[in-house]
Formats: sequence, structure tokens, C-alpha cells
Amino acid sequence: MTSFSENISKLQTKEVKVPSWVVHANTAVGEDSKRVIDEYKRTIEHYFVPISRQWADPPRRFLSLKIQWESGTAFLSSITEIVLHPAYQQIIGMGPIAIPMILSEMQKKPNHWFWALKAITGDDPVPPNQRGRLREMTATWLLWGKKQGYIL
Amino acid sequence: MVALGQETGVHIISATIIELAFPNLVVNGYTITSPATPDYNCIAWAAEDIQAWWWPDQQLCYYWPPEIPRKETLEVFIMAYEALGYSVCEDPAYEINFEKIAIFADAAGKPTHAARQLHSGKWTSKLGNSEDIEHALGGISGSKYGVVAVIMKRPK
Repeated sequence: MTSFSENISKLQTKEVKVPSWVVHANTAVGEDSKRVIDEYKRTIEHYFVPISRQWADPPRRFLSLKIQWESGTAFLSSITEIVLHPAYQQIIGMGPIAIPMILSEMQKKPNHWFWALKAITGDDPVPPNQRGRLREMTATWLLWGKKQGYIL
Repeated sequence: MVALGQETGVHIISATIIELAFPNLVVNGYTITSPATPDYNCIAWAAEDIQAWWWPDQQLCYYWPPEIPRKETLEVFIMAYEALGYSVCEDPAYEINFEKIAIFADAAGKPTHAARQLHSGKWTSKLGNSEDIEHALGGISGSKYGVVAVIMKRPK
């Protein structure tokens, strides 16, 4: 796999304008900035990796679908619309192989992974008083993940 | 033009993405007033709840007032705010003795968004998983949220 700096150089030779804060990203940035820079790196990597290879590689496929889902639903309030997004449905379609990847994402930040987990596992550990409270729901699912052996 | 607290890369990206999604904001002006968070959504924010994501989903994953039916219709959303003391009115103009909210709906009449009026007469909205913004009511009309379907008010 080529390095991030090699990919950046390739982009620059194609006269693609890469923001200087990405090229010169260092460690003296906040968590939000790091996240944006990480997503940018993944996007650039995605640009150079053929789709066929992504499909043979579940973590890469998951990441690609996750990015599509997050960018396609960022401003939506309707959970129905959020979970019916084609990329989210494809993540559900990946089946149990997606569970550790979803839980790993939930460890980084809360997001609307509950429908997917419920659909794939047939389980729902969230008690009624936690409904809608994403941080509590996430903590409950992560605890479930530990009990099931998905998280060490 | 958006008013930015700090001109970091993250803020500039957020503003650009928001403006691409809601081009009317560029015309009418807006301010980003919070960091992005998935802790609550616009329906909760209009109800002044920042602890939960409100939606009447059939899977029972999300918060919805227990006495209100879990259906994605305008009538049901009106009922949810009526339970908080709001009643339907016609005029979105600021009235000193009333708090107002606006419910947006798509072309099929399905609720998509809610906004709450501020003392300034401007409106505040939570944009999905993203930031809160302060804006003119028409600033967020368009392909994402549709148009204002209902205005409601309650005494202060």
C-alpha cells in the first residue's frame, strides 16, 4: 500500500489542490481537526484503490460505506431516512462480519449504529429509559460487545 | 456570510458543507452557534431538550413522548408539540409574549425538521448530526428540509 505522502504527491502531480493543513498536518491539533484530517486521508486512499479491491476487503468496504453514509445523512433528523440510506443498508447486508467494525466505530464516537446492530444481531440491550440518548445507548451496546467477545 | 468563532480548518469545512446543503443561508446569513454533536436533533432542540434524539421510529430505538403515537406524520408532530403547550398559528413573525416553532415538511408532507424562534426574531436549528445554527426562517428551505408546513406558538 502506498503511503499518505506518496498519495498526496500523486494528487499534486494531477494538479489537484490539496489544502495545506492536510499536507502539513501535525500532532498539534485538536480531536476534531484530527478526525477531519483522518477522513481526508481515507478519502485520498479511497481515490487510489479500485472498488473491486475494496469489495474483497471488508474493513475497507465498511469504511467506504461508512463515509458515504455519514456524508449523505449529516443534516438529516429522520432516523428512517438515515437508516434507509443505501450505504447503511449495505453495511447491514455485510452481516455479522460488520459487528466488530461497527463497535470499533462506536468506541470512537456515538452515531446511529443501533438499527444496524439490532438488525444484524437480533438483539437489543438498550433499556427504554435510554432511548434517544446516544451516549448511553452506545455505552450499553459496547458493554454488550464486551460480553459477546467482540471487544477485548 | 457565516460568523465563525474560530477560523480553523474544521469550521471552514463545516461552513462550506452547510452552505452547499442550504444555499439560501448564503443569501440570508447565518451563524454557527455550537459544535457538531449527535446527542440531540432538531425536533428535540425545538423542544429545548439537548439530552435525546427525538424520532417516532417503529424500531423503538429513539425517544418519542410516550403518550404520542409513533407515526411520521405532520399531525403526530403537531401533537408532540401540543403536549408541550404549543398550538398551531399562522404567523411566523416575532411576538413578544409568545415562543414559536416551525415544522418543515417535504413535498409528500412528511416532517423533516423543526426550528425554534429566538428573542431576536431569528430562528435556531440543529442540523441533523451537525451544528446548531441561527438563521432566517427561509434560510433552510430547499431540497433537504422542504418548506415550512406549520407554525406553532405558546405563551412565554
